[in-house]
Amino acid sequence: MESIGAVTTPTDDEDRLSETFAALANPTRRAILAHLAHGEATVNELAAPFQLTLPAISKHIKALERAGLVTRGQLAQYRPCALDAGPLAEVASWAEQYRPVWEARFDRLDDYLDQLQSRRETEGRNG
Amino acid sequence: MADSHLSQNSVTIERTFNAPVKLVWQMWTDPDHFAAWYGPTGATIPVAKMDVRVGGSRLICMQVTTPDGPTQMWFTGEYREVVEHQLLAYTESISNENGDILAPSDLGMPPGHPVTTEIRVELEDLDGSTRMVMTHLGVPADSPGAVGWTMALDKLSTLLEEH
Repeated sequence: MESIGAVTTPTDDEDRLSETFAALANPTRRAILAHLAHGEATVNELAAPFQLTLPAISKHIKALERAGLVTRGQLAQYRPCALDAGPLAEVASWAEQYRPVWEARFDRLDDYLDQLQSRRETEGRNG
Repeated sequence: MADSHLSQNSVTIERTFNAPVKLVWQMWTDPDHFAAWYGPTGATIPVAKMDVRVGGSRLICMQVTTPDGPTQMWFTGEYREVVEHQLLAYTESISNENGDILAPSDLGMPPGHPVTTEIRVELEDLDGSTRMVMTHLGVPADSPGAVGWTMALDKLSTLLEEH
């Protein structure tokens, strides 16, 4: 049984994380999330504080949906929006994002130390 | 390390380097050595100012080349603990080239990223090689915004003692 679609690679995770970051990197979308933190809301309600057209607001909501930060009701005609904080928790753990950065740094440090020491050895032999 | 709240707010990496402790110490404290390994591949560290003593400041510039040209990121901080060949702890914040701290949120960083973090490096001499434990943790207590809270709490505790 092979199910290629179910395979989760680190790249998938990274992609999802970039979606989350991209969705958060906009003040209007952050304001929409802040609104939804108080409870479900319709697109009209979400649009009210902004001087933006409904299609513009819908675009922002779609971006938030893609990032998995907002879910929309299927049954009601006005399809209320709700916050899904799951991806936020992932982003909030900022420290774990640094782990691969540090690991890569220390790999380079390891190589650099080897270089320095082999150079010293050579110099030692020659001197 | 078992504390999940703590681990959420910090990352710890342990490594053993095949080099004497004195040399590994220089990797963190000598600007030329530090610049050689610290930046990501393709990045350079054009500026590394390090006044390695307790209370001394540091200013690091990391330069990355993007399709739009070179982009610089600056980091500032202060040395908190300096025990030669054993322990180095310093704070780090994103800043401008003058070392003025910038809020991560103003730079489009996600919520939850602390303004100030601390990097703590512990070294152990293993008879020629060196064991290093590096911890990078968020220090909300040291963020500029938290200073007000600390002062308020200090005042409060003084008031409570008086009554």
